[in-house]
Amino acid sequence: MQLYLPIAEMPVDPFVVIAMGAAVGFLSGMFGVGGGFLMTPLLIFYGIPPAVAVGSETVQITASSVSGALGHIKRKTVDFQMGGFLVAGGAVGSAIGVFLFRAFLKTGQIETVISVSYVVFLGAIGGLMLTESVRTLFRSTDTKRPVRKRRSPAWLAALPFPMRFRTSGLYISPLSPIALGFLIGMIGAVMGVGGGFIMVPAMLYILNMPTNVVVGTSLFHIIFVTAITTLLHAAANQTVDIALGLLLVFGGVIGAQFGVRAGMKLKGEQLRALLALIVLAVCARLLIGLALPPASFFIVEGAQ
Amino acid sequence: MRTLLLALCALATNAAAADIEIALTDELVEVDAGFAGARLLLFGAITGVDDPQTLDMISVIRGPDARFKIRQMQKNNLIWTPGPAHTVGPAPGLYLTYSTRPVDDIAPLPLQAEYRLDADYIDIPIENHVAAPAEKAGLFRNAFLSEAEAIGLYHASTQGVAFKTGALFTIDARLPANTPVGEYDVAVYLFRNGEMIGSDVTALAVNRAGLERRIYDFAHSKPISYGIFCVVLSLLAGWIASLAFRK
Repeated sequence: MQLYLPIAEMPVDPFVVIAMGAAVGFLSGMFGVGGGFLMTPLLIFYGIPPAVAVGSETVQITASSVSGALGHIKRKTVDFQMGGFLVAGGAVGSAIGVFLFRAFLKTGQIETVISVSYVVFLGAIGGLMLTESVRTLFRSTDTKRPVRKRRSPAWLAALPFPMRFRTSGLYISPLSPIALGFLIGMIGAVMGVGGGFIMVPAMLYILNMPTNVVVGTSLFHIIFVTAITTLLHAAANQTVDIALGLLLVFGGVIGAQFGVRAGMKLKGEQLRALLALIVLAVCARLLIGLALPPASFFIVEGAQ
Repeated sequence: MRTLLLALCALATNAAAADIEIALTDELVEVDAGFAGARLLLFGAITGVDDPQTLDMISVIRGPDARFKIRQMQKNNLIWTPGPAHTVGPAPGLYLTYSTRPVDDIAPLPLQAEYRLDADYIDIPIENHVAAPAEKAGLFRNAFLSEAEAIGLYHASTQGVAFKTGALFTIDARLPANTPVGEYDVAVYLFRNGEMIGSDVTALAVNRAGLERRIYDFAHSKPISYGIFCVVLSLLAGWIASLAFRK
C-alpha cells in the first residue's frame, strides 16, 4: 500500500512509517526519552527531505509530550513557574531557530547543518552517558560511593533578580531558565527535537533542580515550544507534513506502551549504557554519511 | 497548429505521408493520497499507408517546464558539503520517450535535434556566474540529466509500443510516482527509413486531487492557519493517546 504525502510530495508505505514510529516509540518508552533525536535522522535515512523530516517530527514531539506531561501534572511533578520562564526563552529561541533554518534551507546547506548538529550533540551526550554508565557499572559493587554535593555554579548565583521557585526549592535568577529555554528552543527548531536529552541534564546539573520535577517540567517546556516551532515551520517554510506527523504519532503511541514494559525489566545503568550505544550508533551513521564521498556528486533541487 | 505544420512539412518532403491520430484513455491524471505513479494508455490509428505495422514510432511525453537548482558536492576538510547553487532550466519536469526501436536507429541526428526526440537535445539553460565558467555548463547539464534519469523523471524506453490489428496501435506508458503536476504534451512521430512521415500531439494534465490536494493547498495558501491546524491536531492526538492508555 502506498500513501502520497501531501507536503513531502512523495509516496511512502504508511505501514513502514508507522513501524518506524513504533520502533522509536518503543525506545522512548523504554528509556523515558522523547525520541525526536532518533526519529528525525531515521526519517532522513528513509528518504524524507530533511526539512520536511524536521518540520513533521515536531508534530509527533508535541503529541507525545502532551500525553507525558498530563501524567506529570496529575502527579504534581511540574514546576510551572520554572516552566513559564523556560517557555518564554524557548519561544524566542524557536523563532530564531526557524529563521536560521530558513536561511540554511535557502542556501542549500540545511542537510549539512542538521547532520553536523546531530553528530556534535549525539556524540557529546552519548559519550558522556556511556562513560558515566560504564563507570557506575564497574563501581556497582563498591558500597562507599562518594556523595557528590550538588551546588550551582558560582556565576549562576551571581545573576541579578533572584527569586524563589517554591516547587523546585531554589532561589535563583529567572535569567538562567530563560537562557536555557532559549538555547534548547533554538536547537530544537533546527534539529527537529524536543531537546529533553539536553534539558534534563542541564536542569539537574546547572539549575540544580530536584530530580522529581525535572522530567515533568521539561515536558511542559517541550509542549509549548515545540507547538510554537510547528506553527513557525508551517508558516515560514511549509515543511510540516501533517499526514506524516500523525502516522508517526500513531506508531509512537503504540510502541511506547511496549517500551515502558520492556524498560521495567532492565536496570537503570544497563538502560543508560544501551541508550548511549544507540545514540552513538546514530551519530556514527551520520558522521559516515558526511565523511564518505557521496553517491552522487551533484544535488538537484526541485522547482522553486 | 503544430500538428498541422508538422504534417505539412512531412507532406512537402515525402510523398508517402501518413495520417496519424492519437488519443489518451485519460486526459487527466490525478495525484491523490493513493498516488504511486500511474499507467498512461495512448491509442492511435495510422491511415494513408499500406503497411503501418512496419513503421517506426517515437512518442515523447514532456512535462511542465520548471527551474531546478544544481549544486556540486565539495570536500570541506573532513566532510562533504554542497557548493553554490546554479539555476538549471527551464527544463521539462518529466521527459519520457517510448519508441519501437532505440531512437538512434530510427531518426537521424538532425531530426532528433529538431524535434527533441532525445533528452540530449532538450534546451537546458544553465546559469553562469563567476564561480561557474561556461565550460562547467556542460558538466552541470550532464549531471542534471543523469540525476533526472536516476530518479525516473527522464527515461527512454523501447517497450510499450504495440501494433494492434490493421492501423491501430497502443503505447503503454508509465508515469513515475514523482511525476510533477502541470500541463503535458504527448507527441507521437512516425518514421520510415529515417524520414518523418507523420505526427500528432495531444495534451495531458496532471493535477493534485482529493485530500492530498486539500492539505497541499491549505498549507501553501494559508500557512499560518495550517500551522495552527497542525498544532491543534498534535495536541489532540497527544490527549487522545493519554486517554487510550490510561491505567
